[in-house]
Amino acid sequence: MIELLGLEEKTYTLNLGPQHPSTHGVLRVLLEMDGEFITQAEPVIGYGHRGHEHMAENRNYAQFLPNLGRVDYLHALAYNQCYCMAVEKLLGLTVPERGEYIRVITNELNRISSHLLWFGAYLLDLGAFTPIMYCFDDREHILDLLDRITGSRLTYCFYRFGGVPMDIDDDFVAGCRAFAKRLRSRWSDYDNLVTKNVIFINRARDVGLITRDQCVKYGITGPTLRGSGISYDLRKSEPYSAYPEFNFEIPIGTRGDIFDRYLVRLAEMEQSLRIIEQACDKLPNGPIMAEKVPKRIKPAVGEVYQGVETARGEFGMYVVSQGDVKPYRIKLRTPSFANLSLFPELAVDTLVADLVAILGSIDVVIPEIDR
Amino acid sequence: MLKDNLQKALASLGLEKVAEGDYAKTGYHLEVTAEPTQMVDVAQAMLDAGCFLESFTAVDMVEAFDLVYHFASFDELCRTAVHVPLGKKKGMYTISQIYPGADWYEREVFDLFGIHFFNHPNLKRLLLPEDADFHPLLKDFGAGQGND
Amino acid sequence: METKTGEPLIHLGVLEEALNLARANSLWPMTFGLACCAIEMMAVGMARFDLARFGAEVFRPSPRQCDLMIVAGTISKKMAPAVVRLYEQMPAPKWVIAMGNCAISGGPFYYPTQYAIVPGADLIMPVDVYVPGCPPRPETLIEGILLLEEKITKRGRLRKFRDAKG
Repeated sequence: MIELLGLEEKTYTLNLGPQHPSTHGVLRVLLEMDGEFITQAEPVIGYGHRGHEHMAENRNYAQFLPNLGRVDYLHALAYNQCYCMAVEKLLGLTVPERGEYIRVITNELNRISSHLLWFGAYLLDLGAFTPIMYCFDDREHILDLLDRITGSRLTYCFYRFGGVPMDIDDDFVAGCRAFAKRLRSRWSDYDNLVTKNVIFINRARDVGLITRDQCVKYGITGPTLRGSGISYDLRKSEPYSAYPEFNFEIPIGTRGDIFDRYLVRLAEMEQSLRIIEQACDKLPNGPIMAEKVPKRIKPAVGEVYQGVETARGEFGMYVVSQGDVKPYRIKLRTPSFANLSLFPELAVDTLVADLVAILGSIDVVIPEIDR
Repeated sequence: MLKDNLQKALASLGLEKVAEGDYAKTGYHLEVTAEPTQMVDVAQAMLDAGCFLESFTAVDMVEAFDLVYHFASFDELCRTAVHVPLGKKKGMYTISQIYPGADWYEREVFDLFGIHFFNHPNLKRLLLPEDADFHPLLKDFGAGQGND
Repeated sequence: METKTGEPLIHLGVLEEALNLARANSLWPMTFGLACCAIEMMAVGMARFDLARFGAEVFRPSPRQCDLMIVAGTISKKMAPAVVRLYEQMPAPKWVIAMGNCAISGGPFYYPTQYAIVPGADLIMPVDVYVPGCPPRPETLIEGILLLEEKITKRGRLRKFRDAKG
């Protein structure tokens, strides 16, 4: 009929963002649509570019430390840890055991708070207004605990080269245990509210499938990867810090759809609670900072690559030092950058509502893409 | 062992250097140096071995660029760093036909350093505004281009 | 760039006081988080800090339905035209809160060879209240909103119980 009339079908361009409630930050997606179906989705990034890598070349090593908390503000402590570990490798420092345990406990608390926020914000994208209230409430308890020792609620700058600056006390340990008990009592609430919710299941099952081949070709890491059944988590594959001392599992999915990624993140929160409890039980006494930390951080000439497992995937720092007080080059390999580059392929032939669901399930934080 | 397989596969390509890295100091298991023209073969060898492209960046070493590719594997721990020295004013061959994830990394290197990639499907600026006329991570980018 | 939000043409006398009271007690902010401060802005709307008791929890995504823009985060040069366009799309009377050090003056990202950000929201639009912090605690943002209410109504809420003057 359309050909009879001499009309031609054209696609319609729709602009999503950069100000949009569901794009998790300033992300712009240019959509070419054929009716309700998307034929092409091109993310346009750079709206949050603040020049971290350029700042690194103009700051000395210690001055760059606060920047890491702003790269990914939701799991800032892992980014701090990666940078401290990279510079400690260059300097040849060893962090004492109690310092490593404190790093692990605070890191895992931060991971839980990041996953809780993802959970709440993602369901808000899908249209559910209640879970985010519960998640933020749980999150506030974590923030209270971390506020006591780090001094900040969100963009932490707590680790130093060689250890941590403040020790934790018995109140903190008791608070961690009480929090673990509290959060465990919430799992059944979240299950009944969300996991068994038929609307959520319909929107999440068999949507946004990611195959192993795509993961290798795009360098996907984190829960996005583990939802597709590949058990790659740097805390087990390339153990660092005090992680070898703890018993925990790496949850993986089977089908690679949104629902599996969601279940992986929920299970990861439970595993983080296990790590925190074991660390609180086995907490050794001793110093929290290495003995001979130089006053002027001037590493020898060399380069190092250090990776850690964050809530979003593998964060890697490539630090090149030419023997100066300032780094010669720092490259921040952020997980959301690689994960989002898969998005155009996932978005073809989906509906706009599914597009929002897929984008949320990849869990991107835009400032870490734009750096 | 993945490391031995990789070493064998890369050694057959006639590269300038394929050596074991000092893992405790640098974080890599294999350090490789290659020519720009050989990079596509190196990438194909890494993909055949099942490695994924972890990161790609450039370092401005004043007389030349040093392009650095990092590879790793999901199945076995083996980090490989491939250094490709590139002269200034020279272009580089894209590996996005082998690793589609390299598309955005190459666009970012083009944006921040001005290095051109031949046959890249979509070589536009990624992070800076489209009409920016400078490349901020070059060592001679400095005062005068900053804020007022 | 100049915007005119000066004196209105018609003065409505006592009715204006009532109107200002209504405007101040039901500010509708826009969901406009740029970076880290957005998370604290979300926390303000949630159960513990509860912006709803001040009437401002209705975050609207569309600028046409808002009267308050909370600039939460760093404004990059690529984003600046979009921010200005959103501000112009808001109908008057409208107010702007610059939340966080980045929106006030560029924050931790301001240094001599910075090429990518606009150091301060007040370079591109008129700002009414500055809320410092990196990120500011949610209580600080609530204080900022209460200050804005004072600015709008010229009276303030429970002023005799607070130390604020002016």
